Amino acid sequence: MDTRTPHRRQSREVGDQQTATDPTAAFFEALARRGHEPLLDKATGTTRFDVVDGRKTERWLVTVDGGTIAVSRRNVAADCVIRGDKALFDRIASGKSNAVAAVLRGDVDVQGDWRLLVRMQRLFPSSPASLRSAARRKRS
Amino acid sequence: MSDGLVQILDGNTFVVSDERGDIEASPTDPTGLFSFDTRFLSRWVLTIDGERMNALSVDDLQYYETRFFLVPGTGTVYIDAKLSVIRQRSVANGFHEELTILNHADKAVDLVVRMDAGCDFADLFEVKDALKKKGRYSASTSGGKLVLGYERGPFSRATEISATARARVDAEGLTFRVRIPAHGEWTTEIHVVTARLGGGQAPREGMDPKRERQRMQRNLEKWLHDAPRLECDSDELKTTYRRSLVDLAALRFSPPIAGGRALPAAGLPWFMTMFGRDSIFTSLQALPFTPELAATTLRALGDWQGVRLDDFRDEDPGRILHEMRYGEMTAFEERPHSPYYGAVDATPLYVVLLDEYERWTGDRALVRELEVEAKAALNWIDEYADLQGTGYVWYKRRNEESGLENQCWKDSWDSISFRDGTLPGFPRATCELQGYAYDAKVRGARLARLVWKDPELADKLERDAADLKRRFNRDYWVEDGEYFALALDPAGRQVDALASNNGHLLWSGIVDKSKAKSVARHLLGPRLFSGWGVRTLAEGEGRYNPIGYHVGTVWPYDNSFIAWGLRRYGFKDEAAAIAAGILDAAQFFGGRLPEAFGGYERPQTKYPVQYPTACSPQAWSTGTPLLLLRTMLGLEPHGEHLVVDPALPSAIGHLELLDIPGRWGRIDAFGRGRVDVGTRKRAARR
Repeated sequence: MDTRTPHRRQSREVGDQQTATDPTAAFFEALARRGHEPLLDKATGTTRFDVVDGRKTERWLVTVDGGTIAVSRRNVAADCVIRGDKALFDRIASGKSNAVAAVLRGDVDVQGDWRLLVRMQRLFPSSPASLRSAARRKRS
Repeated sequence: MSDGLVQILDGNTFVVSDERGDIEASPTDPTGLFSFDTRFLSRWVLTIDGERMNALSVDDLQYYETRFFLVPGTGTVYIDAKLSVIRQRSVANGFHEELTILNHADKAVDLVVRMDAGCDFADLFEVKDALKKKGRYSASTSGGKLVLGYERGPFSRATEISATARARVDAEGLTFRVRIPAHGEWTTEIHVVTARLGGGQAPREGMDPKRERQRMQRNLEKWLHDAPRLECDSDELKTTYRRSLVDLAALRFSPPIAGGRALPAAGLPWFMTMFGRDSIFTSLQALPFTPELAATTLRALGDWQGVRLDDFRDEDPGRILHEMRYGEMTAFEERPHSPYYGAVDATPLYVVLLDEYERWTGDRALVRELEVEAKAALNWIDEYADLQGTGYVWYKRRNEESGLENQCWKDSWDSISFRDGTLPGFPRATCELQGYAYDAKVRGARLARLVWKDPELADKLERDAADLKRRFNRDYWVEDGEYFALALDPAGRQVDALASNNGHLLWSGIVDKSKAKSVARHLLGPRLFSGWGVRTLAEGEGRYNPIGYHVGTVWPYDNSFIAWGLRRYGFKDEAAAIAAGILDAAQFFGGRLPEAFGGYERPQTKYPVQYPTACSPQAWSTGTPLLLLRTMLGLEPHGEHLVVDPALPSAIGHLELLDIPGRWGRIDAFGRGRVDVGTRKRAARR
C-alpha cells in the first residue's frame, strides 16, 4: 500500500510522523491548520466523521462557518454524520478511494444533511495515480 | 412512448409497463419500476382465476398517474365480460396501485386474484448493456408484507410490497381470495415501496400516497399557471406549447441536494438524472418561461463542480459534470458516473447560462453566490482544456475503458469526420467548443465588471476572447467551401466536413460579420436544410446518412440554437424558416418533438421520420418550441427592458405571449406572421 503524503497541500504543512502511518489523522490535522477553505465558502454546519477502527471509533468534528474551518475530537451531535471503516477513510484521505462511490455502495453511511457531505467530499485529494499521469502529460 | 409501453414517473422514479399494467421484464427489456437507476420490480402480473387481463383502454391521467381499464381473458375472441378491472397507478416513492374489480353479474362471484411480483434489481446500465448480476437475492414474507431484496457486500436494495386487503403473501407475490356480491365491487390498495434492505434509508417513509398525489396535482397546476400564456391563431402551436410545458414539468428532477428545487433531467425514462450539457441547454431554452430551472441547474452543477484530478472520472478542477448516476455499477466503480465529468462543452456553457440568467432575471445575488464556481469554470478553459497548448479547447478521454470518446454534444463514434468520411485522431477541437469558450469569456467579462467588481479579470477575458475570435476565423475557415470546419485534428488540420455546428457558432457570436452571410446561406441551403430543419451533417459528405444519429438526422434542439444564432446576426427570415419547419414537424408528434428525425427532403417523405430512440420526451427537444417562440418574437433583454422584435412565419398568424417573467416583472409580447417561409426556402435553394 502506498503510504506517501496523501494530499498535495498537506505535503508542505504536515511534518509529523503521523502522515506516513495514519492518513486519516494527517488529513484532519492539516484541515485544522488550513483555517479557511474557499471550496467550503458556501457551507455552514457541523460534520462528524466516525472512523471505525475495530472496536473503537475515532471521531473528528469539522465545524464550518462560511468557509472557516475548525476541527476537534469532540463527540457531540452534528448536522451530518459520516461513518465508515478506518481502512476506507485512510484510502479516501489519500485519494485512493472515491467518497461518493463509497456512499452509493453503502460502505460509508451518511445521516443528516447531505449537502454537507457534498461540500466535504470536495476536500479529499486527487488520486496519486492521476497526479502522476498529469505530471507526465505536462512534461511531454 | 412507442410499442405499446406506458410510463409514469416522479423525479427519477418511474414505471414502464405494458397496456395491461403488467411488467414482465427480461434482463434487457426496459419495463419495470425504476428508482435511482435501479430496477425495483421486473415482474408485476395480475391474474384473476389464473387468467391474464385484456386491455380495453389506458387513460394517462397525468405524467405521474395512469388508469388501466381491463377485462379478464386473452382478447382473442369476443368477451362477454361479467367482470371489469380497473388499475389506477401513481408514482411516489415507489408506486401505489388501486385495484378495483366490478362484478356486473346478477349473482355473487368467488375469485382468486393474484399479483405476481419479482425483481432482478438491475442497474440501468445493465439493462442497456445486458450485463450479469454479482450479488445475492432474497425474499421474506413477514407481517403480511413481501420484501424482495438484493445484496452485494454493503450495497443493498429492497422492494416492499403490501396491500390494504387481506392477502396470502408468498415469495413470488400476493393472493387475494375475494367474494364480490351481485353488481358489487371489491377494491384494494397495493403499495410498492423502494428502499434499502434493512430499512436503512427508506426515503420519505410513511408518506400518504393520496396526499402525495394531491401535492403533485397542485404542483403541476401551479407550474402551468406560472408560465406565460400563449394566445395565437394556430391551435397546433397552442397544443405544442402546452405539451412542452407539461413534459418539462415531468422532466423536472430534484437531486437529493437541491433542497426540493428542480432542474431539468435529460430525458424520459433513461436519462432522468443530472446531465451538465442537457440541463444547461434546456435551462437556456426555458429561461423566458421558467427561469427557476436555470437557477437550480447552476446551483446543483456548481455543487458538484470538479475539484480534483481523477482520470477514471475525467475530472479536473473547475470542470462541470457530464452525468450523475446512483446505481450499483456506479457504486462499485464499474462505471465512472459518481459523477462523470467527460463533457467538454458543459463548463463554458455553465458561464453562458449564468450570464443569460442574470440578463433575464436581474438576480445578481446568484451571480455573486456562484463567483467562485464561474471563475473556476473560466480558469478550466485555459488551464485544463487546451490539451495541445494552441489556445483552443480540445478533448481526449483519460478513462479509455468506460469514458466517452466524443465529449461534445455529437457524442457518437462517427460524428466528427473529414469530407471523405475519414475520422480524425484525438485530441479533437470541434468548432462549437471554441464558440462556447468565446461566449463564456465575453459573458464572464460582463459579469466580472458588473457584479464581481473585478475589472482586471474582465479586461483579460475580453482580450483573450478577441484573440480567440481572430485566430478561430483564420484557422477554422474552409476557404473553398466558405464555412467553418467541424474540428481541428491533433496536427491542427481542418476536419473539413460541413455540419450544423456552424449554427452554434452564430449563436456564440464568434463568427466575423463578414463571414456570417455565407454561413447562413449554408444553413438554409439544400445540403443542410431538409425543409423541416438543418441536418446534423450536410448531404454529400462522406458519412452523410439521413438516418445516421449525428451524421444526417435533424435534431430539433440543434435547430432551436441555430435559429437563435441566425437572429443574433440579423437573419430574421432565415430563423423564422427554421422555426416554421420544426414547429410543422411537431404537429406530426402531437406537439412532442422527438430527439431527432430523418434528414430526408421534406417533399420526399411528406412527414418527418422519427429516429428510433428509447427516450421521449427528451428535455432539449421539449425545450425547443420554447426557444423557437423566443426567436420568432425576437425577445431580448436590454437593460431593465425586454425588447420584442417579431419575425413570424406567415402561417402562424397572430401570436401573443403574455406575462413573460423577468427583471421587468411581467410583460406581454405580440407578433403577426409576415415572413413567407415558402418563398424564403425557394430563395435559399436557388
